[in-house]
Amino acid sequence: MTQHIAKTCRALIVVAGLAAVAAIDVRGQAPAPAPAPGFDLSGYWSPVLHEDGMDRGAGPEIGDYGGIPINESGRLFALSYDPSRLTLRHHQCDGYVAPYQMRALGNSRAWEERDPKTHRLIAIHWFSQTFEGKRTIWMDGRPHPPAYAPHSWMGFSTGRFVGNALEVRTTHLKQGWYRRNGTPESDQATLVEFFVRHGDRLTHTVVVSDPVYLEEPLVTTTDFYRQPTDHQNWLFPCDDGEQVLGRAPDDVPSYLFGQNPFVKEYRAKYKLAAVGHLGGAPSLQPEIVSTLAAAKDDLSLERPSRGAQATSKAASPEPADGEIHILPVRGNVYMLIGDAGNIVVQVGNEGVFVVDTGTGARAAKTLAAIRTLSDKPVQFIANTSFLPDRTGGNEALRKAGADLSVRGTFFSLQFRDAGIGATIMAHQNVQNRLNAAKRPAEALPTDTFLEERRRTFHNDDAIEMLWQPNAITDGDSLVHFRRADVIVTGDIFTTTQYPLIDVTNGGTVEGEIKALNQILDRTVFAHQGEGGTLVVPGHGYLSDEHEVVEYRDMVVIVRDRIRALVRAGATLEQVKAARPTADYDTRYGATTGPWTTDMFVEAVYRTTARK
Amino acid sequence: MTSANVTRQIAAYAIVLTLAAPIARAQRGGGPPPPQSPRVAAPIDLTGYWVSLITEDWRYRVATPPKGDYNSVPLNPAGRKAADTWDPARDESAGEQCKAYGVGGVMRLPGRLHIVWQDDRTLSIETDAGTQVRTLRFGPTSTGASDWQGNSQASWDRMEGPMGAGILFGGGGFGVGNSAGGSLKVITKGMKPGYLRKNGVPYSADAVITEYFDRFELPGGDALLVVATEVVDPTYLAQPFWTSTHFRKQRDATGWKPTPCTVR
Repeated sequence: MTQHIAKTCRALIVVAGLAAVAAIDVRGQAPAPAPAPGFDLSGYWSPVLHEDGMDRGAGPEIGDYGGIPINESGRLFALSYDPSRLTLRHHQCDGYVAPYQMRALGNSRAWEERDPKTHRLIAIHWFSQTFEGKRTIWMDGRPHPPAYAPHSWMGFSTGRFVGNALEVRTTHLKQGWYRRNGTPESDQATLVEFFVRHGDRLTHTVVVSDPVYLEEPLVTTTDFYRQPTDHQNWLFPCDDGEQVLGRAPDDVPSYLFGQNPFVKEYRAKYKLAAVGHLGGAPSLQPEIVSTLAAAKDDLSLERPSRGAQATSKAASPEPADGEIHILPVRGNVYMLIGDAGNIVVQVGNEGVFVVDTGTGARAAKTLAAIRTLSDKPVQFIANTSFLPDRTGGNEALRKAGADLSVRGTFFSLQFRDAGIGATIMAHQNVQNRLNAAKRPAEALPTDTFLEERRRTFHNDDAIEMLWQPNAITDGDSLVHFRRADVIVTGDIFTTTQYPLIDVTNGGTVEGEIKALNQILDRTVFAHQGEGGTLVVPGHGYLSDEHEVVEYRDMVVIVRDRIRALVRAGATLEQVKAARPTADYDTRYGATTGPWTTDMFVEAVYRTTARK
Repeated sequence: MTSANVTRQIAAYAIVLTLAAPIARAQRGGGPPPPQSPRVAAPIDLTGYWVSLITEDWRYRVATPPKGDYNSVPLNPAGRKAADTWDPARDESAGEQCKAYGVGGVMRLPGRLHIVWQDDRTLSIETDAGTQVRTLRFGPTSTGASDWQGNSQASWDRMEGPMGAGILFGGGGFGVGNSAGGSLKVITKGMKPGYLRKNGVPYSADAVITEYFDRFELPGGDALLVVATEVVDPTYLAQPFWTSTHFRKQRDATGWKPTPCTVR
């Protein structure tokens, strides 16, 4: 055996030696440096707070957005932000998003994960004390997940060594902030980072591209110094609780445009003009020095401009390849995406349970996708509303299914077709609306309920359908798989557009807010405000409570603005001209298509309380 | 064969391998090639025009902060005392308008850099803010009279992997990309005392400033220059003062506007 080892070593060394000789350039030049295996990031690192010390320590002041290339939406979002929002139960444990986490207070620890046999570098882990933020930087060449996969505080990161740097690319971030004063970072932000180590000094450079809130990439550089020992304090536990008693569930603290008192305070304190301290791309250019010297206060920057309405800059999470894609959600629950409306499938020995059927344009592919998950028939279909993107595939999926629990019962003696085809469950108003729309009988719910909830225990899970009166329509339901802890929301919640409040069919903004709060009443996060209960939106990526709470906040804040205008006597046209959605339009806005910003504003205008 | 023999054989082959490269080079080229000049050996190209992106310490950099506002700077009591007695009129009357434009402060000021090779061993950094010139010499530095920019000694700080790593493992796995690269390291001493910030936050003539210049390529063709700076000053600082300052590459001299030093 030892001879074998020796031979192997000899062979390796000879090969390496020959290769080294061969690598020398025949012209006598020194060869280009061989690719190095990078550097070791492992160890304990403390941030150096010699830059932006107050921002990163005690906290930035409201109105201090200078040097951040925020666009109009970002500026208005920040100006509307009230730090009291953090007292809301669902924000108390919000973690930091990666670009802020790397600049926050608190120590960090890095270590490598290597394959135990080959010792290939699989990942670099970076754990931050504050909010227990844990990043995984995959070094094994794996691809980033699809656009409909969940987002997280740290996002999904892949890395490689380039030059003397570790280069990292990150996608799938949650919404967060660039500064701790409400300067927003969107869930569409992506990062390119460079870690460079000079001895015990580590310099981290991050370039954030955010089409929703930034005019140009935001670059920051942060230094860390290496600590020789473990300081032992790595935990940052958080549980939410009641911080403000008696607060109404639809109370989301915010400032109306132009009414944030602390901005004026900041301006007076530092004698800086709005054109600088309210941020924007020009504020980080050297010319800002002369601009500030000559500038007079421009208070118009605190309100939406009179310019054209902005539209969403978010990437569509919907695959464009015409196929139905399957995303495992949890346990025996899956999300199917590709038919212009998310479909949820629960599988098990009792038969397939489907929530919503998409538009039906790709029903055959949907059925084929279901067949890859289960060979059991589709037994139940639950519709979260009557809308076409929820019920379009009802006929096809129903015909392909069967409800064996009905065959051989009293009903099958009364109705020849009992149990032939899947049973479609929904609130009675869904049936009424589909009837009114003259949809064929095969598309109609066959098992309806009138109040509160419909429940069933299926495939070892308790499933509840919870009626949400007058939210998007008058027949909306949430579907909660209690064991899997997955909530399917239909169009009450999406990550792609303003809520489609269909006033003609019974939708109201107040009902929508109640429905969103109902989701939040049932979610439990796993860690620092993320994970735990999973939420499948009607459109968009698989979410958790953080996406819902940001969406709820948006609807409430827009409602509050429109209500204030209405109570001041504004007409619908005046409300639209005031652009009450200006800080959200780059995320959700549309000027064309089936659901525009103006339609949303009008729906809110028509259904918000007048007094 | 015993394990001791195995160890000895491995050691012997390792020595042979270590010697193989220079021997082969000598055989082919008739002797070691002459050392490359720092300009030729540069692992990164720092030349051109660069514009500062003022995304950090914004309020302190775009306007002169009030006297006594030295947040984030680890001043010792002597440093605080000096900062608290900052008198811009005194600087003006003493003809020291450029105290904030010395090597300890100029890279943080809003402006543009123009970096060129003066010769094969000398890089220069011109700043339009204050119209300053920094001279970075590879090899021995001048010991002449001190000025705002002091004597800067430059060297390439290459990142070298263990010998053979790229050969044995091909550089394809292990999360390894293209790792040819390095940094410019600059150590500056012997400058006139100046200001870390325009409001009189001081550094002394005893300060030693170490900088690392790194260049990063961005998607879309942009490039960043990141200058990581350490100021060690036993006179005015309680601990080393660390900042990192970033610049974006410009295609040309757009925006280049030399301006004189100002005190306020």
